[in-house]
Amino acid sequence: MEVKILSANFDTKDAHKIKVAKKHGAYSTLDKLFSMKPEDVTDLVKNSGLRGRGGAGFPAGVKWSFLPKNTGKPVYLTVNSDESEPATFKDRYILVKDPHMMIEGIIICSYAIGCHDAYIYIRGEYTTQVKALQAAIDEAYAAGYLGAKVAGHDFKLDVTVHRGAGAYVCGEETALLESIEGKKGQPRSKPPFPAVAGLYGCPTIINNVQTIASLPFILKNGADAYKVHGTEKSPGTHLFGISGHVEKPGMYELPLGLPLLEVIDKMAGGVWKGRKLKGVIPGGSSTPVLLPEEAKTVTLDYESMAAHKTMFGSGGIVVLDETVDMVKLVKNLIDFYHHESCGQCTPCREGLGWMLKIVKKILASDGTIDDVNLLRELCDNIEMKTVCVLSAACTMPVRSYLDKFRHEFEAYVATNDSLAAEAK
Amino acid sequence: MADKIKLFVNGVEVEVEAGKNLIDAVGAVGIEIPHLCYHPALGADGNCRMCLVGIEDGRPPLVPACKTPAQEGMKVLLDAEHIKKIQHDVMEFELINHPTDCPVCDQAGECKLQDYYMSYDHAKSRMNVPQVVKGKKMDFGAGVVHDQERCVVCGRCVRFCRQITKTGELGIINRTDDARVNIFPGRPLANRYAINVVDLCPVGAMTSKDFRFKQRVWFLKKAPGICHGCSKGCNITIDHNREKYKDDIIYRFRPRLNEQVNGYFMCDEGRLSYKKENEGRLTEARLGTKVRPIDDVLAACSKEMEQAAKIAILLSPNCSLEQMVTVQALAEKIGAALSGYSEGYIKTGDGDDYLIQDDKSANRAGLNLLGIDSSKEGFEKAVQEASLLLNFNNDLTLSYQENELTKLLKDTKIVAVAAAANQCTAMADMAIPVASFSEYAGTLINCDNILQHFAKAITKNEDLADICTIAARLGSPLQNDNERYSVLQKCISALKEFGVDQIPAEGLNLKKSEAANVTA
Repeated sequence: MEVKILSANFDTKDAHKIKVAKKHGAYSTLDKLFSMKPEDVTDLVKNSGLRGRGGAGFPAGVKWSFLPKNTGKPVYLTVNSDESEPATFKDRYILVKDPHMMIEGIIICSYAIGCHDAYIYIRGEYTTQVKALQAAIDEAYAAGYLGAKVAGHDFKLDVTVHRGAGAYVCGEETALLESIEGKKGQPRSKPPFPAVAGLYGCPTIINNVQTIASLPFILKNGADAYKVHGTEKSPGTHLFGISGHVEKPGMYELPLGLPLLEVIDKMAGGVWKGRKLKGVIPGGSSTPVLLPEEAKTVTLDYESMAAHKTMFGSGGIVVLDETVDMVKLVKNLIDFYHHESCGQCTPCREGLGWMLKIVKKILASDGTIDDVNLLRELCDNIEMKTVCVLSAACTMPVRSYLDKFRHEFEAYVATNDSLAAEAK
Repeated sequence: MADKIKLFVNGVEVEVEAGKNLIDAVGAVGIEIPHLCYHPALGADGNCRMCLVGIEDGRPPLVPACKTPAQEGMKVLLDAEHIKKIQHDVMEFELINHPTDCPVCDQAGECKLQDYYMSYDHAKSRMNVPQVVKGKKMDFGAGVVHDQERCVVCGRCVRFCRQITKTGELGIINRTDDARVNIFPGRPLANRYAINVVDLCPVGAMTSKDFRFKQRVWFLKKAPGICHGCSKGCNITIDHNREKYKDDIIYRFRPRLNEQVNGYFMCDEGRLSYKKENEGRLTEARLGTKVRPIDDVLAACSKEMEQAAKIAILLSPNCSLEQMVTVQALAEKIGAALSGYSEGYIKTGDGDDYLIQDDKSANRAGLNLLGIDSSKEGFEKAVQEASLLLNFNNDLTLSYQENELTKLLKDTKIVAVAAAANQCTAMADMAIPVASFSEYAGTLINCDNILQHFAKAITKNEDLADICTIAARLGSPLQNDNERYSVLQKCISALKEFGVDQIPAEGLNLKKSEAANVTA
């Protein structure tokens, strides 16, 4: 099942060092790159169908083509390495195991969009990763792949690593830009979109680590070689992080479009301890949960996930066995998003805290059926009323648990009722 | 005139000004879109989410009105059920952690949250879990007291300190529902416009130490006025009230919008200058050391004027144009030397590049326009030659040290026609109390040559005559307002087409050339 494009060298010893990386083909695409016109590179990426791997799945080449031409302003590339979505652990492998693949991708993207200053915004907690990444960048500078003349060609490119300070919301692309600018990490209202007015008000492309890291393969082997894998609308491979109640949790690179349950069974060894499956979170904590019967029919691609009223997300699959208390899970979920709400928009700032208190009340056998209904209603009242989608990242999954596992919430309410009856 | 465009609000066609956001554009034609964080002086932030409106056939269908430019043919939905529900829902979120302390909150009566609750929500609270606890009555400095629990985190105050004063004392710390406005430890508000955050705050989170708990705002009468604190002439609202058995008292000045003069704001010094209208006033006419009826003092003064060989008259640069021409006419009639010397009113270096001016007088441009000599030499020569000085409200202690003043005026009889009791009135041989600027109507010209008219705002229990009346009673040929105004119309050509009550509310921008011509 596995197709190793991004993870080809993950098992190679010292692949993060430039010497070893070069032996395995790193930076081999640059001569070809500089022989091409930048717009041809963009077209190539468009043709490959590569979709943004940060979660939204927007076609990368199309995004690049949104850049306004001849604005007189510099164009920036920002690589989003803020990987903070709970259950997501894919980019960290690239940063540690094969950082030169990403740096090469940065050179390819920068050339295509005319960027001479690229930023890598890396999650603050990624201390090991930032060291590995910075070491690789230093090596790339020393070897002449970054700096005034990239690989001897007349193209200047500087890469700056910017560490976050621990805010999940800075993974949202405009909050990320604010953070790089030294401001409080709060999402901006859109429009204008970053492609028009992004970093320091200049045209900016923001791509995920995995998206950028996929570029060398596409340039080397062509769009068709990439499209061999995956489905028509979701081509290529994806790094899937499978965690939760499975026998073999871990990171697996798979083509898109595989059946979810098959992947869980064949790659991750199935639900652990012979227990029954209760649900699957398909792509990080913010994606609505799937029931076992839904998991049977869904495949790992953007279209099938949407058809199942959930999202492909970041490829962070969490398997939940029959012992999971969904009310406690929901409490954890809201707790996280409440903690990470930037506090800008009223519905998210006040609403998530309210939801958390309600679910805690239900858990403490203190809730009523009205509280369950209120929790469900608040999901609707908060969602899509805010500048960014952080609130929706909380309310969408919470709604799915409330709708699919309502009986568990009612059970807590029932204990409250019986306690009340006893008290009488 | 800005271009007009047509758009639809709730299906009804309205014509609005182009180039504005939806809140301002449709607000100008009387359609309110509720909002808390947006303020025209601070721009759109888009955090409160109260102003979300629907756009029919629009992409996206739901937009914040503050960030959406009004466009030709746009179909704005305000009264659709889903929009009303959003307003209701956002109100609920604003209110869940908001203390219900309206009865003891100083903002009650002028609180946006309170108003919007009545207009858009009016629902019972569904909050049955503990509220977030934050800081209360925090002293932010500069007379500003903050209540974090009442705060709706709209950030207007923060943006004011960043964008307008550029001092940045305030920030929003923490995330989520723990987000709160605060100062940096030990770094309180330290700018001269700080109390504007109290006006800007849509709720009772920012209150003024000076004003709070003095009056419930619904008792206050609001009268427009012009601040006399410096030569900028900021437009103000005079909030005053006559409590039972008491006098008409001013409780606060607030800035009043005038794009041409002060915009939305005013300085703290000017704002607090209302106190001078209430306190330290000269209230009784005095002859020598004895309190006498004003008629007696005026009669004695007239007698002195008849007997004096030479009279000097001094005007305050705070006097209105009407007062200046009346006194000027008096001086001409009796052959007195007229001076507007007031060097002490100018505090060099005190002004800034925003509103505060070096010149702390309200109408120096008027003095210049009427050709009244303001030189020190002119004044001292006049005083030395005269045996009687009529001082119309000019605080000479600002221009002279006490010993200098005593020396200069040792052989001169002084009649002080003054609003405030001070050293000048104390050393005068006769003192005549007059109305201060909140108690009369008049016209001023500010530092930017903008002519503004203000009306009488306050009527005291014992209303004092203003300088015009006193000068008229002392013999000025200009006996009434009409005569005074026709003189002004002769001096200022721009006034010719306007009656006194027709002067535009935003003021008349006199051409520099005109001012120059008349002075010359």
